[in-house]
Amino acid sequence: MKKDMIVAVCLAIVIVIMSYIATLGGGLGPLFNGVRPLTIIYLNTTLNIHNPNFTAMSPEAVTAIVWDYRGLDTLFETAVFYLAIIGSVAIYRGIDEKLRISEGFGLSKIVKVVTKLLIPMNIAIATSIALHGHLTPGGGFQAGAAMAVIPMLLIIAFSRYFLLDIRLSRGLALALRSVGLLGIALTVFIPVVIGLVNGLNAYIMQNQAKVNAPVSLPAFVGSSLISGSLIMYNVSEFLAVTFGFTLLFILLSIEEGLVKEQMRGEGVEH
Amino acid sequence: MSRLVRAIPIIVLAYVVYIVFSGSVSTYDLVLGFVVALLSGYLTSNLLVSDVRKALNIRRFIWLIIYGIYYLTIAEFKAHSDVIRRILHPRMPINPGIVRTPYNVVNDYSIVAIANSITNTPGTVVVHLDEGKKIYYVHWIYVKAPDPKTTYDNIVKDFERYVKKIFE
Repeated sequence: MKKDMIVAVCLAIVIVIMSYIATLGGGLGPLFNGVRPLTIIYLNTTLNIHNPNFTAMSPEAVTAIVWDYRGLDTLFETAVFYLAIIGSVAIYRGIDEKLRISEGFGLSKIVKVVTKLLIPMNIAIATSIALHGHLTPGGGFQAGAAMAVIPMLLIIAFSRYFLLDIRLSRGLALALRSVGLLGIALTVFIPVVIGLVNGLNAYIMQNQAKVNAPVSLPAFVGSSLISGSLIMYNVSEFLAVTFGFTLLFILLSIEEGLVKEQMRGEGVEH
Repeated sequence: MSRLVRAIPIIVLAYVVYIVFSGSVSTYDLVLGFVVALLSGYLTSNLLVSDVRKALNIRRFIWLIIYGIYYLTIAEFKAHSDVIRRILHPRMPINPGIVRTPYNVVNDYSIVAIANSITNTPGTVVVHLDEGKKIYYVHWIYVKAPDPKTTYDNIVKDFERYVKKIFE
């Protein structure tokens, strides 16, 4: 007991000292002494209609950085994430998730009805996050994670068979996830195709015009800001993440007994 | 087509949620929000709506508002004051127990609305639902008597009167 008290007091002192160093002591460097040079660069270039050769045309600096300044990095991050999902799909290959070994009652009617009512609201909110990825904090991945709550809730409240009943199968999830990835892949090459057609210099993943590559994707539709390629990346990523996670949840909810039984069956055949 | 008609109440709900969550009424949001609402309504109408005339009935909607006002003022005040009295009373007069409470509605939404109304008022919590016997199992802070009539009159009756007019 006494030892615990000593440890707790020491921890409290360490936290106080650390927070003092970090804030009042100036331990974070020039953070509190004005705006840093790097920040000034981003503030001047993320959304600057007066400097069309040096802007991402998005007021949301994080999205601008993630899908424009360092777009290739994000592209390969996305690839890593989907390779992980491919791994899960490979592990469960040949397992028929449509077989039912029990009835799947789920939770009580109260939970089920409330869960069902949440679905349309959840779709609206998740899609809003995706469609505002270039305007406000959030974006494709966050929106997809919010959307993937729906299959998770349905599996818990209803049982995984319910997803089969509403025809949200592993195959459909895989297909829609691939549509999302295809969207990202196509968006990567759109500026190059425009450049080839018009005989202009262009880079892959280019969003707005550069000094030596005057190809720009439309930043506005009417008076609405869509930030060129950023909205396309966000929406594609939204689709890919939503159904990537859905696919994982479906695979993870397959009963162990069902998997083992089918694997044994395979073993006997060969 | 009937699926889209049935989706109308869901489209309205999803559209309102989209606009409120986005916090903007720009053309961009009004147009895309409607598309999203349409899509989510179409996808979920089979799950959520079986009789669209009931959902669009103005009289039921007015009863819903009346019930909302009744619930948030009178019902909540009665339940809160009762529990506060029991907490502050020097002898703390509680007699907790789980009782069977019958209900007389058939619609899913009615069953859930009554159950959640019971749970949301302090002092009573629905812990289980037996649809076959049409019984809620309710944890009650002061069990006056466990017979069906007492429990029904004290716990379900007031809510059921309104909910029947809204959802049944």
